[in-house]
Amino acid sequence: MKNLKKALGVVLTVAMAASAVAAVPAMAEEKTAADYKIAVVPKMTSIAWFQRMEEGVNAYNEETGADVFYGGSSEGADQASYLESLLAEDWDAICVVPFDSEAIAPILEKAKDQGITVITHEAASMDASVRDYDVEAFQNAAYGENFMEELGELTGGTGKYIQFVGALTSVSHNEWCDAAQALQEEKFPEMECLGRYETGDDATSSYNQTKELLQSNPDIVAIEGSASTDILGAAQAVEELGLSGKVAIVGTSMASICGDYVQNGTVYSFSVWDPAEAGKAMIDLAVASLNGTVEDTMALTADGYETIENVDGDGVFYGSARVDVTADNLADYDF
Amino acid sequence: MKKGKRNSMLTSTQMILLYVIIVFCIIVGLRQPAFFSVATVINIARAAIFSACFALCEMIVIISGGIDVSFPAIGCVAMYVPMYLIDKGMGSQSAWFCFGVAILIGLGFGLFNSILIAVLDIPPLIATLATSSIASGGAVTIFGSHDYTSLPEGLQKIYNTNLITYVDPNTGFSYVLNILVLVPIIASIIVAFLLKRTMLGRGLYAIGGAKHAARVAGLNVRGLQFFAYIFSGAFTGLTAMIYTTLMKSARISALMGDEMIIIAACVIGGVRITGGHGTVSGTLLGVLLITLVQNSLNMLGIPTSWQRFVVGIIILLGTILTSWQTKRSLKAEKA
Amino acid sequence: MANEVFLKLEGIKKSFGGVHALRGVDLEIRKGEIHCLAGENGCGKSTLIKAISGVHDVDEGKIWIEGEQVEHLHPIDAINRGVQVIYQDFAIFPNLTVAENIALNGEVKDRTKLVSWKRIHQVAEAAMEQVGARMDPDMLLEQLPVAGKQMVAICRAIINDAKLLILDEPTTALTEPEVERLFQVIRSLKDKGIAIMIVNHKLDEIYKIADRLTILRNGSFVSTGLISEYDTQRFTRDLTGHEFESKKYVPENAGEEIFRVEHLTLPGKFEDVSFAINKGDVLGITGLLGSGRGELGEALFGVTPAQSGKIFLNGEEIRIKSIDDALNNRIGYVPEDRLTQGLFMDRSIEDNTVVSSIRNYFHGLKLNESEMEEATNRWIGELSIAAPSPKPPVRTLSGGNAQKVVIAKWLNTEPRLFILNGPTVGVDIGAKAEIHAILRGLAAQGIGIIIISDDLPELFTNCNKIVVMRQGKVGVITDNSVDNIEL
Repeated sequence: MKNLKKALGVVLTVAMAASAVAAVPAMAEEKTAADYKIAVVPKMTSIAWFQRMEEGVNAYNEETGADVFYGGSSEGADQASYLESLLAEDWDAICVVPFDSEAIAPILEKAKDQGITVITHEAASMDASVRDYDVEAFQNAAYGENFMEELGELTGGTGKYIQFVGALTSVSHNEWCDAAQALQEEKFPEMECLGRYETGDDATSSYNQTKELLQSNPDIVAIEGSASTDILGAAQAVEELGLSGKVAIVGTSMASICGDYVQNGTVYSFSVWDPAEAGKAMIDLAVASLNGTVEDTMALTADGYETIENVDGDGVFYGSARVDVTADNLADYDF
Repeated sequence: MKKGKRNSMLTSTQMILLYVIIVFCIIVGLRQPAFFSVATVINIARAAIFSACFALCEMIVIISGGIDVSFPAIGCVAMYVPMYLIDKGMGSQSAWFCFGVAILIGLGFGLFNSILIAVLDIPPLIATLATSSIASGGAVTIFGSHDYTSLPEGLQKIYNTNLITYVDPNTGFSYVLNILVLVPIIASIIVAFLLKRTMLGRGLYAIGGAKHAARVAGLNVRGLQFFAYIFSGAFTGLTAMIYTTLMKSARISALMGDEMIIIAACVIGGVRITGGHGTVSGTLLGVLLITLVQNSLNMLGIPTSWQRFVVGIIILLGTILTSWQTKRSLKAEKA
Repeated sequence: MANEVFLKLEGIKKSFGGVHALRGVDLEIRKGEIHCLAGENGCGKSTLIKAISGVHDVDEGKIWIEGEQVEHLHPIDAINRGVQVIYQDFAIFPNLTVAENIALNGEVKDRTKLVSWKRIHQVAEAAMEQVGARMDPDMLLEQLPVAGKQMVAICRAIINDAKLLILDEPTTALTEPEVERLFQVIRSLKDKGIAIMIVNHKLDEIYKIADRLTILRNGSFVSTGLISEYDTQRFTRDLTGHEFESKKYVPENAGEEIFRVEHLTLPGKFEDVSFAINKGDVLGITGLLGSGRGELGEALFGVTPAQSGKIFLNGEEIRIKSIDDALNNRIGYVPEDRLTQGLFMDRSIEDNTVVSSIRNYFHGLKLNESEMEEATNRWIGELSIAAPSPKPPVRTLSGGNAQKVVIAKWLNTEPRLFILNGPTVGVDIGAKAEIHAILRGLAAQGIGIIIISDDLPELFTNCNKIVVMRQGKVGVITDNSVDNIEL
């Protein structure tokens, strides 16, 4: 018994020592963001979305003691030349949210030639050769299905609904709507999709179309929006017609755009991903890439990116960073 | 002689447009009986408010022999800056402040346009293109691009003041027409009087028809050009604030890209792009036709993917019709 | 009254940056007379008009208006003293009505704020009555023919208490009957005691209308006198400084047929037109406006092709259904309005000369610049175009020289038939004679020449065959032994 204890103690000690031996060099080798020179470049700096991303990068620096640089052009069109000028410095990694992926592709290629690690976000469709890894907040299908889950619940699974997209050519908007519609056909057969309408990212258009469609189809019970201003116009129309609470509205948006309508209940909830966390996730992935510890399924520190997966093996990692914002948590997502 | 006059009345641009509008309404009504409703009148009137105001500005400028593609940018700045100032605690919540600042901004840019065109003799298209770029680029750089979606008290009061509230007996939906609809109505009356009954108005036609002859006749050509652009600018500012009030939002790019559809409405309404021709009634009918088409294609059941095509075709047909009718009347009279 | 002097100029001199536009001009215009000011392009007529109307301040010389000497005349002084000018472009508003065009200047002068359409109509009616013009006051000016626009300009001028009405080349764009109508109006204004000064250099018109005549040349005063003191010889000599013989054209030896049309018809425009051109012939086609003369020319060039009938060139039947057909058959055409239809005004003489024969200058894909320049230089020489090199834009040339460039352009295509519509409209007398000489020379070389014109003396002098069109049909075909033809 005593021997056993002793033996056990020895084993434990050895094990601990072993782990310590294993851990200590690992700790010493596992470099953090503080050890690298990393830049985060947004599409543009002038809008609230990327100001929120900057907050995320600053918070990351504070938490980890790193000194990640955040900066970009005020207008998206100037992103390419901004990036080009950045290449004069000796970066370890650059994290980019491309504005015009075609325009910056050659510059990213040049960065890679210089040995800089390139991480992108909101650029799943970009050619894999010009970047190392891409990180997306979520998979479009799952994101779109969520809207239908919400609408199904709100309407009791019956009635007509309409979908708005910013442009009929917008890949992500259409993927969301396709997934939602597919789920509806399977799970809420009593519901009917009246159609998919283009708003041109213009609240006036979704406002006028909502009024027009409700006039000719008074039995519409639900509206799904895709561009951030889609549900803004729809909500205003619904409210003016006196239909708040009778027509369920969900979609992608931001607190700064339709927070008021969430508060007064016309919009049940909107979904979004937090650019602050996306910024952190890019930095995490950059560090992992530089450390050579990237795996097909891995963990990052950013909220919603605890598990990210390289689903198609093409270096695009998907997280589950969707945030559903209702009146309850509106204050937390003030961007 | 009398008969000839009545004949030309029946085939005037205005009457032809009216026929087209009536035929279009009948087609929509046959397809969608819900179209024949007070609700349609209210919806269309509401949707046409901004377009009508902008078209009046554009018409005056085109009549004077110019063109203005800067009004969307000017309008964006004019709606954005007051909201920005209020947000930063530098403005008052009153409607007077909002409208005052908006009109002043519009007036300032109008003055800038007229200096470029009347004093520096820069072609109007280039001058207003430059102004547009300066206004929108400058504003984004200086003020950023936030979405303001809550109205200050004063504007909220106006938003809540409706001229007509119509409750559809079948659906129970309430259709409201805001008091601001009076602005384009009153403005149309004033502009019509100005153009037809004052020397200022006749002077605008004169300089648009033959600038040199106007100079020889002793008209103050430069002064008239100043008037056209400054009026257009100030009225654009006013209209932009109407937009903010009615759409409950101010965005730095809310109106961008609207110039072509407004110019198209003017041309359909018989305003000749070369200057010197155009009437308030024709322009309003042009706006009505375009608004009607834009807001009833869903009712007609035209798929979204075809809608832009159809709008294009109708603009083209409208323009062909009016220009053909101008040519015809010219020929008939000469023969 | 007829002898009372309204305007007197003495020794007027004006130069612009060293160029002497006026080198001492005397002029005297009496009340109730029609005075003609004649001179070739560049003689200083325009400068003189601008001096009288106060647009230019003169460098030297004296001006009296109604016996009072005026110095530093301003445009508004001139208007207030009753001097009104009607420029060639009339300075009218095409987009406004007849009534408004007539009344607008007065309204501006009175600093009216609100428009009274009733008053505008009254003013316009009164003016039209005074002039004797009848027009719908609500018609837009752009709907009127040139003559109508001119009437409106006259109406507008006289309501401002005009005492001297200056018309700058008023007949240039008018047809024969319209000129008649204009002259009637001018005579009636004369009868009301208004002094009239007409700038013109068409002698036949001057004979019809003028009481007295003043001739300028190179900015200098040449002569003045009663119209009866001038015959063609003196007029031409004073105008140009040279003697011109005006011998009627007779081909040296008539050769074989080059061109023939048979029963050419375009319904509504002309029908059953037949004629033939032999080597050496210069054929004239004339007729009133609407007689089909212009349309016939355009049909031969394929602009609006004839619907039936036959066309033979050098004995071979050809089809002309398009301009391309005409070009392929080497038919050249100088349109009536050479400025808008025949020339690229802002391009160089060279570009204009080679534009219709550009294919000849391609060597592979490259244009042979030196050949193009050489050809242009040759035509500048042969046609004596007054230009220093092939490079200046056509806009810088005078009317006569511009017309020669159009001719050069077609000659460079080596045409077999050359149709000219109104070849000397707006061309001054010296250049006119040169153009005529060129055409005669071409005819002698065996190129068929057709001149379409309403300038009868031009046809009598230059064409040995004249086709007179009447209401779309060939009225008569005559030689040029006659001195007048009933149109």
